[in-house]
Amino acid sequence: MASVELQSIRKKYGAVEVIKGLDLSVDDGSFTALLGPSGCGKSTLLRMVAGLEEITEGRALIGGTDVTHELPAKRRVAMVFQSYALYPHLTVAQNICFSLSLAGASKSVQKEKGDRVARLLQLEALMDRRPAELSGGQRQRVAIGRALVRDPEVFLFDEPLSNLDALLRVQMRLELAKLHNELKTTMIYVTHDQVEAMTLADRIVVLDKGVISQMGTPLDLYNHPANRFVASFIGSPGMNFLPAVVRMQPSGLHAGFEGGAVMKLTPRATPHFDGGQKVEIGIRPEHVTLTNPGAGQIDGVATVFEQLGNTSYVYIDTGLGQIIVEADQSVRIHPGDRLGLTLDPARAHVFDAKGTAWAEAQ
Amino acid sequence: MTATIYTGAQVRRLRRFNTGGAIISVITLLGVIFWAFPIYWALATSFKPEQDIVRPGLDLIPNSFTIEAYAHVLLNTNIGIWYLNSLVTSGAVTVLVILMSAAAGYAISQLDFPGRRVLWWLILASFMVPIPALIVNHFVLMAEFRMLNKWSGVILPQLLAPVTVMIYKQFFDSVPRDFREAAVMDGATEWQLLFRLYLPMNWGITTALAIITFIGAWNAFLWPFLAVTSERMMNVSVGITQVTDAFGVKYARDLSSAILAGLPVALVYLIFQRRVTQAIMLTAGIKG
Repeated sequence: MASVELQSIRKKYGAVEVIKGLDLSVDDGSFTALLGPSGCGKSTLLRMVAGLEEITEGRALIGGTDVTHELPAKRRVAMVFQSYALYPHLTVAQNICFSLSLAGASKSVQKEKGDRVARLLQLEALMDRRPAELSGGQRQRVAIGRALVRDPEVFLFDEPLSNLDALLRVQMRLELAKLHNELKTTMIYVTHDQVEAMTLADRIVVLDKGVISQMGTPLDLYNHPANRFVASFIGSPGMNFLPAVVRMQPSGLHAGFEGGAVMKLTPRATPHFDGGQKVEIGIRPEHVTLTNPGAGQIDGVATVFEQLGNTSYVYIDTGLGQIIVEADQSVRIHPGDRLGLTLDPARAHVFDAKGTAWAEAQ
Repeated sequence: MTATIYTGAQVRRLRRFNTGGAIISVITLLGVIFWAFPIYWALATSFKPEQDIVRPGLDLIPNSFTIEAYAHVLLNTNIGIWYLNSLVTSGAVTVLVILMSAAAGYAISQLDFPGRRVLWWLILASFMVPIPALIVNHFVLMAEFRMLNKWSGVILPQLLAPVTVMIYKQFFDSVPRDFREAAVMDGATEWQLLFRLYLPMNWGITTALAIITFIGAWNAFLWPFLAVTSERMMNVSVGITQVTDAFGVKYARDLSSAILAGLPVALVYLIFQRRVTQAIMLTAGIKG
């Protein structure tokens, strides 16, 4: 096990800067997810930790040792690729023991270590098969086994579940979580799927255009997004954003929506508040409740009603744009129904024109 | 099971198709006869007594069979040594061409080094130069190296194989990058990457190229003919020109020696037919 520290990391491809001076510290034994949309630089960052991508500027330390210019195999890290990259001409056993074989380990050592990994990942019955004869989930387990056999200090995962179907993805997610609990090895996991990041990681680093947008625990990011980007990226369905103007009134801070609706905001730190500021109010679907027309702050017309069994989502057209509401499973709505919406002011987020969240008062 | 019912128009179309097919079959058959007849004629002649061969008239089927010509070639010439020379030189050419082409193809495809592009263009350019155009240079070079009448002298100029380098590069280019990176993470060196990953992953191509290189080297005539003057160092393709008689041409002996010379290649072709076809397609630029 080892910590990973990236200091002022930059990555340039010619004139294009992909990673823009990034500092990141990953604790020993932690499970950290690098989350972000395509092209945000998360895979590049992971590959720089692995040594597969040269670091243009800055330093990478693993377990306190500077590995910036170290060869990938010498970094004591193992990586699981999105495509699994299982060697098609080798059996499962040979795939798992490939690194040992390259290092010149004896057949008995290879067998002993290979069997240990196979037991851990329940691959015993598949050891003589070739990758083409395995299912997606089995291939995934072999890829993990190949990483595991090297006893790495850091595991790197590059979107390892994205090639699996939804059901298998959930199953493998569970297995990865169990594996981390068992091994307690530092794991860095790249994904664009916020559900994977939220469920697996004990810390999420959200990347946007080569910089860290926010990092924290999954609930931190969900409940206290630092900016509009994080707020929109975390959570499914995404947060609703409503244009508003904030004003300080004798009774406190209020958000005024177009059409006259007003919502009292809970006390917030407003360092540069000068009155009449244009903002966006962000509110998650589960923090909006349905009521009768005219009884809430905003009225709208239902366009789509989705029933998921345990919950329902209602898509409502309002004068402020579309608002998604999470409703009880017993609720029955028909497209065209006129509804009132009540926003929970305690759970509303305020984002300024630059998309930065107003910090809540302590 | 359901029976297919054809309409009248479909039946007529099928009939027309069958007529067309029959015409094509006849043309193909004529082509086969045209191509195979010289081989049959050589084979039949090699089993005839010499007096039957020179007798006027066309004996498609020999009146009497004899293996005298084969016995003469096998017992009274150096064909055993010629076979050995062919085997050694063709085998060496095959192994070296495959090793060097794979290594060169790998380097150009996967490694980043100064002059890589220039090297690639040079290989492409060398492909444009016909080997016979270089034959005088090769001869002078081998003479200066004192390699004439030696296996090394026969082998060395035949190692120029830009096509195999190009094919290897093309195939190595198509290996997904993840495999390479996974092996690099596993601690593979460049040699291990080539011999434990890239070559085994493209084993079919290596087999196909090895077979066609071997056949080419076995059948080579011009260079082995120039590089060797000593009868004991000749390849079988050159050696058979020595099967002459003081009393004139002996057709049966000439043809039997030619058949014996071509036999190993014919066997190789029959055993590895599919791979040879694949290799021909590859060298013609069609990815098999």
